[in-house]
Amino acid sequence: MSAQTPAQGATGSGDLGAPLYVAWQLTNECNLACLHCIEESGPGKAFRDELAPAQTLRIVDQLAALSVPYLSLSGGEPMVHPSFFALVERICAAGTELKIETNGHFLEAANCERLHSLGVKAVQVSLDGASRETYNRMRARGDFDRAVAGIRALATAGVPIEINYSPSRFNVHEIGAAVDLAHELGAYSFYTGRTMYTGNAVKTWRTLAPDEQQYVSFFEVLRAKSAQYRGRMRVYFHELGLLEELRYRLKHPAALLIVLPNGLVKLINALPFVCGDLRTQSLEEVWASFQRAWNDPRVAQFVDDLADDPRKTAALHQWVYLS
Amino acid sequence: MKLSKYTKFRPEKFGGVLFETRSEKVFTLNPTAAAVVSEIGSGADEPVIIERLKIRFEDRDGSIEREAVEFIAELRQKGLIEE
Repeated sequence: MSAQTPAQGATGSGDLGAPLYVAWQLTNECNLACLHCIEESGPGKAFRDELAPAQTLRIVDQLAALSVPYLSLSGGEPMVHPSFFALVERICAAGTELKIETNGHFLEAANCERLHSLGVKAVQVSLDGASRETYNRMRARGDFDRAVAGIRALATAGVPIEINYSPSRFNVHEIGAAVDLAHELGAYSFYTGRTMYTGNAVKTWRTLAPDEQQYVSFFEVLRAKSAQYRGRMRVYFHELGLLEELRYRLKHPAALLIVLPNGLVKLINALPFVCGDLRTQSLEEVWASFQRAWNDPRVAQFVDDLADDPRKTAALHQWVYLS
Repeated sequence: MKLSKYTKFRPEKFGGVLFETRSEKVFTLNPTAAAVVSEIGSGADEPVIIERLKIRFEDRDGSIEREAVEFIAELRQKGLIEE
């Protein structure tokens, strides 16, 4: 009799009857235009074929019917989606644990109280900097003070808080202060890793990307902060590069579906492969396609090619359909 | 005794999975472990759960009882259940 993590046991996503986690990019529309945005979101960037409200509710009902335990809503900015609160209500009422990933600009007190009363598991706010100078530079049209005020409103309402931090050449030195700030704001988790060469970052890479020496210092600080906050706030960071991560995923696919705003389903964010379409297929059918797709030789070939040309990630938005 | 607030259980063909959604940790369960968690989900107390398992898995040598006690302690230690 045992409870093993997948790394200890033999069970991978291929043995599961349904996904364990669905990461749903509700819309590509966003009020900000961040330099590093992997989705190339921004004002006026909603896909022309985004799911209609009735379609989104049907997906929520399928997730509940298959007992998918965990769902995140992201974007773009999910809180600008016209059906945002209707979806949150439906998801939470079905007993699915829900995380919202937001830039924090719509976290007024009333919205935070509503999220709390609906029972969201957590709200993850992107806070890429410990000062308005770095944050506002990274998050074009964004306002550090407004994001921090939103996080404080979450804390007041009693909503569990996570912080996400994307490093750049000009904010990387603030990582220690950013972890401290997250703890001071009441976060229970802090997430970071290497910034990806895709989306808007392709255009801004020269001014955006930290160099390797900066990353060395960055991860040193994170290791120290992780120890400092042990038992009080979890500090998660991915030191591995993308290639190592993808090689691991080829052997151990996560039981995670990435749903795009138009209902297409990707294998993983860092690959261009689409394995299903929730506009025309049931969630069960898409899950079966997902499990087959990880064995498609084109997936392993793409990862191998990345070793020779890391800049292939620039084309992640040119979707490749696996049937 | 019940599953802790952020822990979700789902039966699977091989037994079941426990998903601690706060830490995003997943635990796979063999059939007897899944039976224990299923009983916990029904709200039964530990002695009741163990009696039910002994009957269900025809515990002739006491091994099911011993393993169930150890397993429940492991779940408690991992923060997956609460009183």
